[in-house]
Amino acid sequence: MIKVDNLTKRFGRHSAVSGATFAVEQGEVVGFLGPNGAGKTTTIRMLTGFLPPSSGSASIDGLDVNRHSLEARRQIGYLPESVPLYRDMRVREYLRFRGQLKGLSGNALRARMDEVIERCGLREVRRKMIRTLSKGFRQRVGLADALIHDPPLLILDEPTNGLDPNQIRAIRHLIKQLGQSHTILLSTHILSEVEMICDKIVIIDEGKVLASDTPANLVATMRTAGRISLELKVDPENARKKIADLDNVKKVTHERTRDGWEEFSVLVESGTDTRERIATLVREERWPLRSLYRHAETLEDVFVELTRKD
Amino acid sequence: MTGLLILLRKELRGFFLSPFGWILLTLVTVMQGWSVSSAMKHLQDTPATESLVFHVFHTGYFWFYFLAIFPLITMRLFAEEERTGTLETLLTAPVQTWQLVLGKYSATLCFYLLLLVPSFIQFHLFGLLTDSSSIFTAGSLLGAFFLLFLMGALFIAVGCLASALTSSQIVAGVITVGLLFIHYFLGFVTVIYGDRFPAAQLFHHINSSEHLKYFSRGLIDSSAVLYYLAAASFFLFLAHHALNHRRWRS
Repeated sequence: MIKVDNLTKRFGRHSAVSGATFAVEQGEVVGFLGPNGAGKTTTIRMLTGFLPPSSGSASIDGLDVNRHSLEARRQIGYLPESVPLYRDMRVREYLRFRGQLKGLSGNALRARMDEVIERCGLREVRRKMIRTLSKGFRQRVGLADALIHDPPLLILDEPTNGLDPNQIRAIRHLIKQLGQSHTILLSTHILSEVEMICDKIVIIDEGKVLASDTPANLVATMRTAGRISLELKVDPENARKKIADLDNVKKVTHERTRDGWEEFSVLVESGTDTRERIATLVREERWPLRSLYRHAETLEDVFVELTRKD
Repeated sequence: MTGLLILLRKELRGFFLSPFGWILLTLVTVMQGWSVSSAMKHLQDTPATESLVFHVFHTGYFWFYFLAIFPLITMRLFAEEERTGTLETLLTAPVQTWQLVLGKYSATLCFYLLLLVPSFIQFHLFGLLTDSSSIFTAGSLLGAFFLLFLMGALFIAVGCLASALTSSQIVAGVITVGLLFIHYFLGFVTVIYGDRFPAAQLFHHINSSEHLKYFSRGLIDSSAVLYYLAAASFFLFLAHHALNHRRWRS
């Protein structure tokens, strides 16, 4: 559905996006992740035809966004980050204008308007001025606008930004529903959102695509260092040294728990499991052991590992 | 083409959905009425060879309020869309930039023509109320309004360009006023320095008040017609490119 090939956008000497390559298949819900200022919005603006790429290409459903811009735009329902709306229009009036602009008219337009108003829960505000609506309702009006021409692809730029927890839940629920019948590219920096909604993740930072895979695969193949915790009742300094001498161990820290045990946190090299060797050591030293476990890696670890600056 | 009409209708409705359009309509009607009454006083005091139409458009008031109309009706056009971000929703819909520019331009031109209707009526009222219908000829009236249309076509295009250059309405308005005043005063270069230099003809060519003098006598100068239409197209072309360029570098 979306094919991005070596896409680059330069503003003067600064590259907002450099050589981004990824693909989104029909029917997928893809999370587009990255820290603030990573180039998410710029990439999206190139996909929607608002900014032309400096080099590289992008196509929507086989239509190049530069050469067949209008046809490509027809395939997309786009919700920009700031949800720009005309404050002096009423909700229905705005949706009618947007529908007409996207080529709908007559009965088809009316039918679509009724459907998106119903779907986005705008029924009770449909005659209100947009400027009187709350942020949550504005977001829904924006979403209704994106849906009005029934596009196969939805591009949503931080759709839950600035909403309260209830509104976030409602919008997520709606996106989940839409995901059953649409291809969705969802830009966000909220990881739990992605874990809940998306089939696939594209992580971008400083204009470069760092990873593009399913959340499970990303966590599985992560290069990040693993962390093991164990609780012992020992002289902490001696034990710390002995554990640190094991192979593959990078760093050991300890802390006294409230009930007098020592909790050790062991950072090990990526892709290794040192639990067995620690267990052997504990047995040989006859240390009293209460717990030993390895922390499961989360998407957050993946994200932080890929995008942290230090 | 349909995209253009949809944008035109939306924009034109916008003028009447806010108090702004109505206030402007009232102001222009009042100012125009003032011009007519002061022209009538002038005719009352001194014998005149020219028609009422000619005198109305040669009172000091006329240019004063006439040039102020254009920044008011154009400054919002693109600057506001840029500021609120709605430009992004417009240009990611299947609409071409030229459709957007022409849609907004023609909507503003339509609104401007509506602003002229009351003064058109005022001239006819004069005939109805005073029974002195020979005070101006149909030719001079139509000529004057034709020139008002031409000047509007150009000045609105200038306003479109100014509005496309910035995201601040105020700045857009100031640029428009500036350009229109420069254009107006360029016409007076020959009045100040005389006709004895090679480029003098050029200044006569763009002198709006001189055009108004001829047109309000019923004299249609085709070179002036060509000048206004060509210059309007040129400024619209620039506005189109300014809008695209903003997108290209942003």
